[in-house]
Amino acid sequence: MTRAIAILVLMFLPLPIVIVVLSSFTSAGYLSFPIKGLSLRWYAEFLGSANWLSVMGTSALLALIGALVSTAASLAAAWAVVRHRIRFGTAWETLLLTPLIFPHAAIGVIMIVTLAGLGWLGTFAGLVLVHCILTVPYAYRPVAAALRKADPALEEAAASLGARPWRTFWLVSLPAVRPGLVTSLLFSFIISFDEVTVTLFLVGPFVMTLPVQVFSEVLESASPVIAAVSATLVLFTSAMVFILDRVIGIQFFVERD
Amino acid sequence: MPRPFRIALLLAPSALLMGVFAVGLVRLIASSMVIDGQIDLSLYSDILHRADYVAMLGRTLRIAALTTLVSVLIGFPTAYFVARYRGNRNFLLLLIIFPWLVSIVVRSYGWVVILGPRGLVNGIVTATGLADRPLKLMYNDFGVILGLVHVLLPFMIIAILSVLLQIPRSLEEASMSLGGRPAYSFRTVVLPLALPGVLTGITLVYLMSTGAIVTPLLLGGLGNTMIGTEIFQEVMHFFDYPKAAALATVLLATALAVVLPLQILERHLTRRLSDGGDL
Repeated sequence: MTRAIAILVLMFLPLPIVIVVLSSFTSAGYLSFPIKGLSLRWYAEFLGSANWLSVMGTSALLALIGALVSTAASLAAAWAVVRHRIRFGTAWETLLLTPLIFPHAAIGVIMIVTLAGLGWLGTFAGLVLVHCILTVPYAYRPVAAALRKADPALEEAAASLGARPWRTFWLVSLPAVRPGLVTSLLFSFIISFDEVTVTLFLVGPFVMTLPVQVFSEVLESASPVIAAVSATLVLFTSAMVFILDRVIGIQFFVERD
Repeated sequence: MPRPFRIALLLAPSALLMGVFAVGLVRLIASSMVIDGQIDLSLYSDILHRADYVAMLGRTLRIAALTTLVSVLIGFPTAYFVARYRGNRNFLLLLIIFPWLVSIVVRSYGWVVILGPRGLVNGIVTATGLADRPLKLMYNDFGVILGLVHVLLPFMIIAILSVLLQIPRSLEEASMSLGGRPAYSFRTVVLPLALPGVLTGITLVYLMSTGAIVTPLLLGGLGNTMIGTEIFQEVMHFFDYPKAAALATVLLATALAVVLPLQILERHLTRRLSDGGDL
């Protein structure tokens, strides 16, 4: 019984993704499954559209900057909590995770209010700020775990051998937490690149992300070009998961510190 | 650099991000109940006195509860199977983690392709003559719950799996070698130890299903609103920000009312278990 449920679930989870990828190769002008004939015309339309490409560029840049900022902020916070053993360390860690217990629709409205107050609604800077807030809870755990595993004695040794603090940081501390950093970067990149529920409130005529564009196209049309764009998103995610698996191993997601 | 200054500098970036979030939260609540400089709860009494809003709230809670229930019922066996699997467990993990990381837009869209009038299921049904007209599989509660379960199930499985993987298999075997039947060993050994993971999973799935917008909108349409889709409409179509802020505050309250007790219970259980005490 357990086995039967598990096997069905493990087939059910990838199903819609496989269907989207397969249906992107249709030659028909409308979306249907099974597809009517094989063609790459929807990929040609996607890659020939300046609009889709610029939206994809925005999403990639946003995810990249967001991942760098939230990983750096997480590393700094983890440094204070783990290395300096600050008194309210556990409380600080809990605080950093609080955005996770807010429903996304509510976060969306909170962010409208926030960005409107800053005059950043519908701007790229506004999206970067929001995506940093959303990805810090995911970025924090891997760097903090790596920092806990790294041996502070190595840093003390480097310092006692005369290395200046920055040199110690670059040559000793940073390499020791590298797997954690890479994980944080990739994890935040994926979360940010795929985020839609909060972002859809914050885009505007001058800035748009790929998942939000896909969302509004699905609501308005049934053009198979959406399937081609979605398949490209899937390809991006696969590449990230592949690198994550190589760097740290996929079991990272089910490990507890 | 003196230590307090260095610590302040290290905490500054994350403090800034969380500070922005906290200020936004306060401003959200304020903008829903302060009108023209005075405290005014009329938006809330409007919401609670309109039959369609009350129905929408009830629908949201019902769908979230059903989604959570189905996710536990199929997520637990899956996590248990994966935790006890002796073969290539990494491959099974990939089947869970990879879909989890694919954007919810893509996954919900996949269900539109499968359940739609010209989709996979209706293709099979009409081709085999099981029905002469396409079945209505989406734009109803069934489609929404199916989509939400699919989107959120990985959270449940991951939460339970991360606890199950910590339970040594020998514990279960010890119970059985002492004469406990498998079902008894499962109920008295595995289940209590897995409970914190189950509670985390329930918390996440409930939370995310009450606050979902994309999946309910794509698979439920504009007719069958949930609180998330209602907020979306207020903002995107009616530009009624105070109403959206009031609805968002109601959403927060309903979510936290369930989530905070669960979190406290989960911490309590985890502490009890790590102290080695009885439940």
